[in-house]
Amino acid sequence: MTNSIRQAFGETLIKLAKTNKNIYVVSCDLKSSLFLNDFAKKFPQRFIECGVAETNAAGVAAGLAKTGKTVFLTSFACFSPAINWNTIMQSICYNNSNVKIIGSHAGLLSTDLGATHQMLEDLSLMRSLPNMEVFSPLDALETTKIIKTIAYSKKPSYVRLVRPTTPNLFDSKLNFTIGKSHILQPGKDITVVGYGPILEEAFQVQAKLNLNDKYKKNSLEIINCSSIKPLDTATILKSVKKTGRLIFLEDHQKNGGLGEAVASLILENNLSCKFIHLAVDDSFGRSAKTYQELYNYYGIGVENLLSAVKKILLK
Amino acid sequence: MLPFIKPHPLQKVSQSFRHDLLDMVYQNGGHIGGSLSSIDLMTAVYFGNIFNFNRDHFILSAGHLAPALYVILANAGYFPKRLLDTYSSFDSILQGHVSNEVPGVEYSSGSLGQGLSFACGLALGEPRHKIICLTSDGEHQEGQIWESLLFANKYKLGNLINIVDFNQFQIDGPVSKIMPLNDLAGKYIKFGWTVTTVDGHNFSQIISALENAKKSDYPNCIIAKTTLGKGVSFMENNFKYHDVKNLSDTLYMKAKSVL
Repeated sequence: MTNSIRQAFGETLIKLAKTNKNIYVVSCDLKSSLFLNDFAKKFPQRFIECGVAETNAAGVAAGLAKTGKTVFLTSFACFSPAINWNTIMQSICYNNSNVKIIGSHAGLLSTDLGATHQMLEDLSLMRSLPNMEVFSPLDALETTKIIKTIAYSKKPSYVRLVRPTTPNLFDSKLNFTIGKSHILQPGKDITVVGYGPILEEAFQVQAKLNLNDKYKKNSLEIINCSSIKPLDTATILKSVKKTGRLIFLEDHQKNGGLGEAVASLILENNLSCKFIHLAVDDSFGRSAKTYQELYNYYGIGVENLLSAVKKILLK
Repeated sequence: MLPFIKPHPLQKVSQSFRHDLLDMVYQNGGHIGGSLSSIDLMTAVYFGNIFNFNRDHFILSAGHLAPALYVILANAGYFPKRLLDTYSSFDSILQGHVSNEVPGVEYSSGSLGQGLSFACGLALGEPRHKIICLTSDGEHQEGQIWESLLFANKYKLGNLINIVDFNQFQIDGPVSKIMPLNDLAGKYIKFGWTVTTVDGHNFSQIISALENAKKSDYPNCIIAKTTLGKGVSFMENNFKYHDVKNLSDTLYMKAKSVL
């Protein structure tokens, strides 16, 4: 199994397309970056190249979907859904077209590319649209499972992919189900919720706690919230009822981030809990050689999570 | 002496549709100017015996022309004509901008410049069927239109017909002042499209352009020169009638009588 989320996407799509003749790709001049070169070679009739024109591409994808195809609209998140949002709203969501939007290179993990390419607003753009389902895979394995699942759903969806290789954390025995979260590690003291590869930090923090006499009895309940919309509210609420402490961790803007939605969920359910939201706080990204430099700078790195854990235990 | 030219039979049909349009916006309001300029075009598409909408598709990109399409679809039997009186009311399926909640409507729109891309997708997915799109001239100021022109050329979408309701006005004034399109036909030709320019109120011209477009191997554009508010003299070429809230009794009576 690869540990590249993008490669897992490209390879899964080829496997699916061999048996499902309705699978089409609409591309915006980024087929190499999305590991779609082989798809384009094997299924040239089902690979539609739109060039650097994401807005038209979203409309073409919507029209094609209305002829019974399952269309994967592929680009970087900073272009699709960022440039073509209104076409996604009207032509895809309002018209309920069976288009799967794949936004790659999201978040600060696109380290050296800088602010224009480190899309930090995609989930707020996509989550707010009626009819749209939103997913952010934890790793390559879960990417495969998500792509297989949505290929057989008839609804519009958005999938957030990242650029670098990342550790495989998903349990291969588990299935992905739309609207369900997985508890990656059960714990009793703090609920840590997030999505995407950043969740690996929670395991590092747990390891640090285990080595510290003061904290070695403390455990984190780590929840992989890859189904961002629909959200598995029951799993989050159950965990927070138990722990009374919640840290939400995301490589995304705090404004409009999923952490805000979860905070609102807690309040609506009359739960009282201690809450810390670790996300990019109203800033643009910037270039760096390693993602750790950026995660530390924007306050979402391992050390930031460790400090938040200590703080929330005191609260 | 000039020979007597018998009016096209659809002339009478679209005249009755204009009455339906005025009845519809009298109480409810709506985008009357463009609906009156485009109703002959939609009449030709639906009643000209050119297309078969069991397989062909009509995409209204300029979603504010909903009143015209609703009148056409009601008269074509897609839904009861009495529903026209409920236009844009809370419990009506007839949304202010065109919506596929309405039987016969294939694409919901309102945000301009998107329908042609959608039509390109349909044309690609159903190469044996005809896809007719209707756009407005002002709508061509949207960048997405030009992206879709490139696309239709690349994929040689010969089954695609874009009719431009060229009435020369948009909400705030003349297109030529707001953002001129200049030689639109020339631009389409440069983009690799087959272009025909017609009088958008002359059924013989519209129908023969549509018949020719059906046989083309290249994407087709029909630039239909029309008159904003056509048929109601005081609305003609008056951009104040782009959209009306409703019509006063006096104006309604006057409009019905001049029609």
